[in-house]
Amino acid sequence: MGFNGTSPLLDQRGELRPEDFGAIRELSMNPIGDRIISAFFSPGKETVDFASFVRILAHFHPTETSRSRDGVQPEPANSRTRKLKFAFQLYDQDRDGKISREELLQVLRTMLEMQVTEEQLQSIAERAIQEADLDQDDAISFDEFRKSLEKVDIDHKMSIRFLS
Amino acid sequence: MPSRTGSHSPAGTGKSLPERGLLLLMVLVLLEGSVLPLGAASSPDISHQKNVDNHKVEHEKNYTKKAFPVLDLDYHHIQTPFEISLWVLLASVMKLGFHMIPRLPGIVPESCLLITVGLLVGGLIKLAGEKVPPVLDSQLFFLCLLPPIILDAGYFLPIRPFMENLGTILMFAVVGTLWNAFFIGGLLYAVCQIQPANPSELHQLEILPCLLFGSIISAVDPVAVLAVFEEIHINELLHILVFGESLLNDAVTVVLYHLFEEYSAAGTVTVLDGFLGIISFLVVSLGGILVGAIYGILTAFTSRFTSHTRVIEPLFVFVYSYMAYLSAEMFHLSGIMALIACGAVMRPYVEANISHKSHTTIKYFLKMWSSVSETLIFIFLGVATVDGPHHWNWTFVTVTVILCLVSRVIGVVGLTCVINKFRIVKLTTKDQFIVAYGGMRGAIAFSLGFLLKKEQFPMREMFLTAIITVIFFTVFVQGMTIKPLVELLAVKKKQEAKRSINEEIHTQFLDHLLTGIEDICGHYGHHHWKDKLNRFNKKYVKKCLIAGERSKEPQLIAFYHKMEMKQAIDLVESGGGVNLPSAVPSTVSMQNIQPKKPPPAKPVEKALPKMTKGREEEIRQILRSNLQKTRQRLRSYNRHTLVADPYEDGFSELLIKKQKMIELEKKIQHMNNYLTVPAAPPDSPTMCRARLASDPQAYSSKPAADRVPTIQVDLASPQSPDSVNLMDEFRRADQQEEDQGLMMKPPSGQSGPNRPREEDRGREQQKMTRCLSDPGPSADEEEEDEPFLP
Repeated sequence: MGFNGTSPLLDQRGELRPEDFGAIRELSMNPIGDRIISAFFSPGKETVDFASFVRILAHFHPTETSRSRDGVQPEPANSRTRKLKFAFQLYDQDRDGKISREELLQVLRTMLEMQVTEEQLQSIAERAIQEADLDQDDAISFDEFRKSLEKVDIDHKMSIRFLS
Repeated sequence: MPSRTGSHSPAGTGKSLPERGLLLLMVLVLLEGSVLPLGAASSPDISHQKNVDNHKVEHEKNYTKKAFPVLDLDYHHIQTPFEISLWVLLASVMKLGFHMIPRLPGIVPESCLLITVGLLVGGLIKLAGEKVPPVLDSQLFFLCLLPPIILDAGYFLPIRPFMENLGTILMFAVVGTLWNAFFIGGLLYAVCQIQPANPSELHQLEILPCLLFGSIISAVDPVAVLAVFEEIHINELLHILVFGESLLNDAVTVVLYHLFEEYSAAGTVTVLDGFLGIISFLVVSLGGILVGAIYGILTAFTSRFTSHTRVIEPLFVFVYSYMAYLSAEMFHLSGIMALIACGAVMRPYVEANISHKSHTTIKYFLKMWSSVSETLIFIFLGVATVDGPHHWNWTFVTVTVILCLVSRVIGVVGLTCVINKFRIVKLTTKDQFIVAYGGMRGAIAFSLGFLLKKEQFPMREMFLTAIITVIFFTVFVQGMTIKPLVELLAVKKKQEAKRSINEEIHTQFLDHLLTGIEDICGHYGHHHWKDKLNRFNKKYVKKCLIAGERSKEPQLIAFYHKMEMKQAIDLVESGGGVNLPSAVPSTVSMQNIQPKKPPPAKPVEKALPKMTKGREEEIRQILRSNLQKTRQRLRSYNRHTLVADPYEDGFSELLIKKQKMIELEKKIQHMNNYLTVPAAPPDSPTMCRARLASDPQAYSSKPAADRVPTIQVDLASPQSPDSVNLMDEFRRADQQEEDQGLMMKPPSGQSGPNRPREEDRGREQQKMTRCLSDPGPSADEEEEDEPFLP
């Protein structure tokens, strides 16, 4: 059900609205579904056009390792850093460049879906911040985020084989 | 696997007693003169035995009263178990011996050494004039020696990388093995038919026996791969590729072997037979997996009810798995795949149900058995080599060896070209080289060859010689050189560190994210199905198979519990008795010791009350005296119940305390390096081969290096029962309500600001039950940091 299938009104408008995303059934079951949806929309805007849609999805294109690196070209959308940045922004809802304890707690709450107590959440969040927070500001910055995921194969994990 | 009806006599019958004594004496010599009860079996007593026999015979006939034999020797009575034990002892002592030689384990892989030992033993036996026992009797091998290794591999199989690379693995296993078999078989036949002018014995070789030989020799052997790869610590991807291939090609081997064996008498194979062969392949592999899965689910279901009989929990795991293997073998399905499926399916549920001690027991037993089995297999391989019968044919053997190498290389390269089109992370040339080079043959090939009947295959001996040569070549040459090559090519090594809670959280988050994106694109990819499976598992399966509360526990929580528990135990162990401030299980503040860094203003959790030095002294006293007591406590047990598992009861409080001790720990680590003397550096790979997660002697703790101690702890460390009993002791010592957590004795001055928090904690801990590993089926993190497999 790609872009063209998400909305019967598409041909007319060429744009998507949040409701169109909401029509995807599996997405509504996804714990972070609404975060994903809101990631498509730039702050303040209510619609997303095809170009922006594709730009977001381009983050998930498999990374090409053979690409030569000349610092002149802007970093491709599907590079590891950009992928991580995209994920980071999903955590960081207020876009202050850091994942605060409260934001982390929110994410944990939605992922764990009422199956745990508040204290457990607190202790998990506490521990996570302890582990990752290197500069002791009680929040996880993007670099700390990236560092804590350095062992995970992001290129593999955040790639979908399509558009190839 | 082919039927195991070996027609070989059990080892050791028909020897006369004096020679037996002599033989055993020599084995003793080999065992470095260890004094075994066998001393009684030396020559002088043998004659005594004869006399006693005679006496007994006479005794029955005439009832003449003789002197009552005070000391009697009856070797036959115990002969078979005795010999088995002797072999096992030999294997284990050899293992010990290797590690005493200083630099040998680093250069020569253990498998080589063991084969050499086997050769020696076989040589000795032959020198003694004895008939070498047919130790690699297929019955023994397939029914006793192989299952523990495979079960160990299957139980500790890292599911996530396995599933992610399943397509690649299957391609290598199925297509690669088929290619190897036909290539080798066909070309061998062609080579044998060369030299028409010079009719040699090779010309007798038909195409079908050649193909049969090809199929026997083409399969990569899991035992050999495990033995070698374990010591080289390459990255997880390559390891799982080669190892997965060696496991999954069993089905192909079974089918091909049976097919060619059946029809080599007939002489031809028709298209229909080929077609049936393909169907048979599907039946064998899928049937094996199904049988394994059924038994796995049975085990999981049984383990749900074992809360009152904790002692026999490990037994269920072992027996059900073995029965899965035997059942699969009964139908000529693939026993290896059944075992793998059984272990992999049952693991998440069983681990959620069984007690902590049972978990450790299972782990240790599996490691122990698989270790002994592997050692025995290699030794027997050596012995069987000496035994023969051999028929050396230069052409045949050398062509076989060369063809094996060539076909493997071509196969891997060719398949990778195809596979890389479908992979996100492509396989580089280096990867391909390692995969190709790591294709070792081993004892399974030999046993299959051994099973061939002489009447049907007159060239059997030639086959066996060639198989042994290939095995020796791969194990010795490839096994020894793979390590330097890995260094030379700078192949990525295995990453040692544990998963942190961050990784776990973020990985789950990314899973959800990717699933969502896939849903938006309408692309039903990997994540989509994984998510569906997870949901199904959570909704239905877990409820059936996991007892009680644990069935609802989300994976993240389980993971978190596990981490906390490990850390807690580690802290208690390291802190217990020596540096008591950190072992103080209560609300002790270190603020007076560490004035430098004021703890940041945080919510309630970090505001610890102060404590004077005097108080600390008292605490030390209490701890010391209690530590004395606890060591004497674990004395009695009966076979039916264990001492009430302190883990389960006092554990929740433990968790709380450890929470605070994390912070204490951090601060202390900043201060000085007093923390435990770093343990000895990890021993040789063989120690790791036991694949113990972290025997306290086998890892080095990293003091002060990490902010948060994420040290892996061996949960079966002999200290832990005591340490936990320490907690138990405290709990008992203060007679407060359990809810409130532990207040230090003397309780004065502690209560105030702590109470509300303690109550909080109390509520929390009600829900934190026994912490075991994650119940999620598809995201097992690596449990050990030694080569996987766990």
